Amino acid sequence: MVRQVKQKPMNWVERLYVFEALRGLFTTLKHALRGLLRYETLPTVPYPEMKPEIPRNYRARHRLMLRPDGMPRCVACGMCAAACPAHCIYIEAAETEDPRIEKAPARFDIDHLVCVFCGLCVEACPVDALRMDTCETSYVHPKRDDFVAPMFDLMTWDPKTYPQNDSQSQMAPGGTLNQQALDAWGMKVN
Amino acid sequence: MPKLPTENSPKVEIFVDDKAVMVPGDTNLLEALKAVGIETPHVCYHPYLPVSGNCRQCLVEQEGPRGRMLVIACYTPVSPGMKIYTPASSERVKSARKATQEFMLVNHPLDCPICDKAGECTLQENYMEAGQNESRMRPEYGKNYHGNPAHQFIDSKGQVRGGKRVDIGPRIVLDEERCVQCDRCVRFMRSIAGDEQLQLASRADHTYITTFPGEKLDHEYDLCVTDICPTGAMTGKHFRFQKRVWLLSRTPSISMDDSLGANIWIDHAEGKVWRLMPRCNPEVNRSWLSNTSRLAYQNFLKDRMPAGDVAPIKQTLAKEGKVALVAGGSCTIEDLAALKLLAEKLGERAEIFTGSFAPVLAADGIAKSGDPVANRAGMKLLGLPAGNLEELLKRVSEFSVLLSVHCDLFENENAAKILGAIPEKIALSAFNNATVKASTVALGVNHWSEVQGTMVNCNGMLQKLSAAPVSPDAELRPAFSVLAELAETPLSCACEAFALAKKMANVLSAYSYETIRSTGVMLDGVQL
Repeated sequence: MVRQVKQKPMNWVERLYVFEALRGLFTTLKHALRGLLRYETLPTVPYPEMKPEIPRNYRARHRLMLRPDGMPRCVACGMCAAACPAHCIYIEAAETEDPRIEKAPARFDIDHLVCVFCGLCVEACPVDALRMDTCETSYVHPKRDDFVAPMFDLMTWDPKTYPQNDSQSQMAPGGTLNQQALDAWGMKVN
Repeated sequence: MPKLPTENSPKVEIFVDDKAVMVPGDTNLLEALKAVGIETPHVCYHPYLPVSGNCRQCLVEQEGPRGRMLVIACYTPVSPGMKIYTPASSERVKSARKATQEFMLVNHPLDCPICDKAGECTLQENYMEAGQNESRMRPEYGKNYHGNPAHQFIDSKGQVRGGKRVDIGPRIVLDEERCVQCDRCVRFMRSIAGDEQLQLASRADHTYITTFPGEKLDHEYDLCVTDICPTGAMTGKHFRFQKRVWLLSRTPSISMDDSLGANIWIDHAEGKVWRLMPRCNPEVNRSWLSNTSRLAYQNFLKDRMPAGDVAPIKQTLAKEGKVALVAGGSCTIEDLAALKLLAEKLGERAEIFTGSFAPVLAADGIAKSGDPVANRAGMKLLGLPAGNLEELLKRVSEFSVLLSVHCDLFENENAAKILGAIPEKIALSAFNNATVKASTVALGVNHWSEVQGTMVNCNGMLQKLSAAPVSPDAELRPAFSVLAELAETPLSCACEAFALAKKMANVLSAYSYETIRSTGVMLDGVQL
């Protein structure tokens, strides 16, 4: 069945088009003018000149926590890889020379193209070796393979600002837990 | 050794949780309860080791003259009419097992994340079954290791630790901390291996496993102690930190390097074999596997032959003169049937030889018969000569073409000199071995770990191999498929080849891959 829709005929003001076009652009123009006149009230950030404020508990790029001697805390148990729903963590374990440490990763790759940033790996880690508190959210690489972050990349995170009062935290290097370990292991404390 | 229930065990009536059940009457309580589906957690008990009864994990309550008392199920023989109470009805059994479990874990380190046994650990299983205690460990005490004083140290938390990665032998690493002193390994070396190399030293919580001073744990079966160890105390160096066990898939198969045909699990992941584990078969290898068979997997992917075209082999076979078809020891029944098919196709020109130049050794009575020709009984079954390579060497001048299947003839220098006289040599081989190098035409085929098939072991037991998905090249084919194509009657799958073998040996006709049990079937009335 065909239903005929009768449209209201336009009057001459509407048929002029100019006023109707301006009416359609009203919201856009309003925000454009707001950006020109009252810039500081805009809810958006002019990326990339200004970077958005990312909270510390945001699940951003991973980092590997370090031992006092600079080796990763990771014991290559594979819990993160087992918990990972995207299967983006690849770990190869090896024995270490250090008599205090039995097992260490020889390879620890996270594929950030596959990662879904769910944070389950961080929760699964029994030794708090993996964290996602780097606040780094942009990933720009020329090649696909570069998105796979190897162990070295995950270890070399420079904490520009990190809360010192966090007793659990280990600003790499430093932190209270590391201090204890340094004392117990008889290593030089800096 | 505990007496295990068999199909012929007399049935007796006992009362489990006040319910009458029929159980095998000639065994211990633990096995009897298992036969009716009641699992009892245990650590030191092993069906193929003498009962030691030291872990006290398998406690049940038995009604006795002085009322109900706790007994260990592994050392209590079944008697008719006995009354047994399991945790299903008895709170006392439940708490006793829980206490035992807690006691066992008091100084057991929290190594599960880095322990190779995690995932197949008896302690983990028992914890889920009988433990689940809240930790009562006070942090100011921590774990205290009292074992071998030579290996004690204080860790960063101030706990007394010790005995991590003790190099106890060429193939095994011992972690004394993880040991729960079940003494399974000691009993294995004493009773099964017959070479008492391990000992429990010291007493009470100072007990630790050690070898004699200056000696190492070194035996053909020493890697079996890593299987029977209920914790991660004994770990094999070959598999140490290689792969978490829950990532491995298992394929049941047969070790084709010995005519006993030890039952194995092929543990594979990512298209690669990571380890071979013994698969329990009471009538063949029980729970044991020799180091040679177990470590054979390390060469499965080394120096493999690529897949190729069959046409050059066809052309070579079409040449004038007699053809010697040689089947090696790891040929399955299917391969042999296809080889026989090829011999029939070639008619008078062809003659089949089988065997290996490797010496036949004495059986060790554990998991090896000493005969390197694994499927010798299968060869006899199909009416092939079983081991007549000497004859081939004598009559080498008669032949102008030599086709070897899974058989490294040229490894033996003497044989290589004599066989070199044959002008055309064809090799169907998984590996790029001496025979392939000496041959004029060679083609890669699947290794036995990658094929489905059957074999008959030296006791006349028909066992089946399953194909693990570990072939390095999808183009590779099993030897029977290549041989059948050469015989111009292509076989598309192993079951067709087995159907062919059924026609050649009547005794096989009763079986199919579905009816051969995972532990094999004994062939009746077979003269071996």
